Amino acid sequence: MVNPDELKLFYEPKDRLRLTLGEEKSYLTVKPVWAAPVSRPGAYLALLDGKGEEIALLPDPGVLSPENAAILEAELRLRYLTALVTAIVHARQEYGATYWSVETDRGPRDFVTQSLQENAQWFSETHLLLLDVDGNRFEITDVTALDARSQAIIGAIL
Amino acid sequence: METAPHTDLRRHPESNRAAAEPLMRLEADFAETGCFGHRVLEVTSESVRVRDGDGAVSFLIPIAEIKSARNEPLVGGGRLEITTATGEIVPVLTYSLTVAARFSEAARGIEQLAKGEPLAITLKQEQTRCAKCNRLLPEKDGICPACINRNKTLLRIAGYLKPYRKQALWLAGISVLQTALNLAPPLIQGSLVDGVLTAHRHIGLLFGLMALWLATLVVRTGADVKSGWLISYLAGYIAADLRAGLYRAIEFLPLTFFDKKQIGAIASRVNQDTDRVWGFLVEGVPFFLTNALQLLGVVIFLFRTSWQLTLCILSPIPVVVAISGIFWKPVSQLYHRFGQKWARFQIHLNESLSGIRVVKAFAQEDFENKKFLDRNRELREAGVRADSHWHTIFGAMMFFTGLGTLINWTVGGYMVYAHQMTLGAFWKVNALLALVYGPLQWFAMINSWFSRAMAGAERVFEVMDTDPEQYDDSHPSHDIQGEVTFENVRFGYDKSNPVLKGLSFTARPGDMIGLVGKSGAGKSTTINLICRFYEPDAGSIRIDGADYRDISLQELRRQIGIVLQEPFLFNGTIAENIAYGKPDASFEEVVTAARAANAHNFILSKPDGYDTMVGERGAKLSGGERQRISIARAILHDPKILILDEATSSVDVETEKQIQEAIGRLIEGRTTFAIAHRLSTLRNATRLIVLEKGEIAEMGTHAELMEKKGVFCNLVETQSQINEIIGLG
Repeated sequence: MVNPDELKLFYEPKDRLRLTLGEEKSYLTVKPVWAAPVSRPGAYLALLDGKGEEIALLPDPGVLSPENAAILEAELRLRYLTALVTAIVHARQEYGATYWSVETDRGPRDFVTQSLQENAQWFSETHLLLLDVDGNRFEITDVTALDARSQAIIGAIL
Repeated sequence: METAPHTDLRRHPESNRAAAEPLMRLEADFAETGCFGHRVLEVTSESVRVRDGDGAVSFLIPIAEIKSARNEPLVGGGRLEITTATGEIVPVLTYSLTVAARFSEAARGIEQLAKGEPLAITLKQEQTRCAKCNRLLPEKDGICPACINRNKTLLRIAGYLKPYRKQALWLAGISVLQTALNLAPPLIQGSLVDGVLTAHRHIGLLFGLMALWLATLVVRTGADVKSGWLISYLAGYIAADLRAGLYRAIEFLPLTFFDKKQIGAIASRVNQDTDRVWGFLVEGVPFFLTNALQLLGVVIFLFRTSWQLTLCILSPIPVVVAISGIFWKPVSQLYHRFGQKWARFQIHLNESLSGIRVVKAFAQEDFENKKFLDRNRELREAGVRADSHWHTIFGAMMFFTGLGTLINWTVGGYMVYAHQMTLGAFWKVNALLALVYGPLQWFAMINSWFSRAMAGAERVFEVMDTDPEQYDDSHPSHDIQGEVTFENVRFGYDKSNPVLKGLSFTARPGDMIGLVGKSGAGKSTTINLICRFYEPDAGSIRIDGADYRDISLQELRRQIGIVLQEPFLFNGTIAENIAYGKPDASFEEVVTAARAANAHNFILSKPDGYDTMVGERGAKLSGGERQRISIARAILHDPKILILDEATSSVDVETEKQIQEAIGRLIEGRTTFAIAHRLSTLRNATRLIVLEKGEIAEMGTHAELMEKKGVFCNLVETQSQINEIIGLG
């Protein structure tokens, strides 16, 4: 078990995330990945080394020092390109495809989904993940938190 | 001149060299902030640079300082990373999965330039939006469903009618007759009321009219029966033609098509989409035509009888049309949703029943029941919602339809009372009224019916129009000797993530090559390429010294035999399965092959011998039996190149011995590529190729590699340790 207090994350050189564990161990490349990003968001963060092998699994990344947490947050934003949908501007079903126009935390985006049965994944009654035709990810963590119009669109299509 | 470099410009401010004409120019769809945006990667012969949305260069590195480049896969996208000559890894820019494959190819190009090699990549400009309407395309470089030429599709659909022109014409003629006959009874009734009932005379006319009615009825029934026959004839034949055309097209599609789509989705094109097309052609079009014709006829008659009354009774029509026009779409969406819930329910039901042993073994009946109840509830709610919406709308339409009748009695009743109209005319109008409102309710559906049929047709035609595998029969026939050469072969199923990275080796005729490596190392992929299920992205594969694309595909595959880990047998007899690759084989040949495969004895022990039905996928045979039949199949096929994929896994020791013996006979005189996890089975191989992450880690005989004490030796030792543990257990 890794002691979170011994963890020190830093960039050296500028773009490479490194990790030292106490005085003994140092990893030249570190990749943070969520173990269960959908069902347990914000928890169970794994740190992998350059070969993809686990260095540590942090059940609660909240225990990390603010410096470590800030570095991880930045790195995770770079690694997870999932867009969080904040509003659905419009969506139209035509010819077997669904054309979406959405607002996300990464800005507005248009995309197409096909066969919603596979590409609209409900993780709970309110948690939805849409995969577009290329596999890009659009997540709605809480459908009920969207504005009424967006909800109506989702209700009509899904 | 370029704009001044960004503050975090990594190296070297711009130079004249860097301004050279780009060899590659790729657009990324993420800004530096991680938001969606626009950045451009430009690669010149001298440098790699990135321009931000405003055109400013934010990154620049000379080619001379680059050691390698790659696409680092991220969740939902990728990142181009460059390793510098000093070993530093530098991220260049981020992009979504939409363009990741292009950037992966670009990374390869950058590497080639860094090594001083000529640029040899294929960077195809992909169309993501329709050139005509700028709509996003459901598939890159695919068809835009909104812009396909409907008339063209319609003509193409109609083309399927061509062989049945005579029947189609008959059907059209009968439809007109049916319409005319539909109008007859109201007219007869009108004449009856005025001419006989009201007048209280001409009783002979009563019988005359009744005889006419009877005649109409007889002809009408005949017409109905005949049109029914014609419809079922056309439906059957056209549906069969469509399915046959589609199936033939699917058979010749490259495997990449099947990788991207689920078998269910392809099967649904053969079933559902073709159904939509012929349904529209055979039922939709005549339905639409007869109803339109009938409506026209009725309205003309009505106006001729009394234009004032007609205007009154038709006044609710706009409302009925509006209701069905406005509400049809939401209701059909609700039914679509119901269909999706139904499919989800079905999947769960199938899964839990086929996995019933696991459910019971883990005592998870309650858990499965809860899941079932959830799905069941979803289904119920979706069904209730769709049905209640439907009934509301239907009720409203019924109300307005009923209103038409009410208006008719009010206005018409008054007109009869005031002697402005005869009772017979009124009766006629009343009877014709039913023929107006009936078809009207369904006209709103025509549009969606039409759209669905068009969409179905496009999906069918899309498959038919997809480029088939290049069979190219123009090449002269070539008897393969069995020399197989890989020359710097690169390949990836997903182009942004190569599985084979520059494989080179030669197998001489008669060699047995063992392919060894962890799962995911590229063993099966190598075999897929030999069979030309896929073609290399770069490099070439040569057979007897010639590029294997110069051998016609069927010719090539006819000379390659495969024995798979999970042998696939078709539902049929054992003899048919053995002779699958050589259908004209004599029974003696089949028996000889079965003997060589150590299958003869067990086949004879079956009551039906060689005529034993193997069941779907060979389910009625044991794993070892299926295996030996597939070996017999390969022996009879008599290939020059043989592929063995873990042929002896999951069978008992005695069966394995028999299979090994059979394989020993099979590989004689053939170039063989064998994958086996049990490394000891490869002891007799001429050479072993040890693959690691898509590259050749080691090559040599079993003894050489053991002596070398490298990767292979490690694998063998690990395996013998595991075997010991299992043995002890």
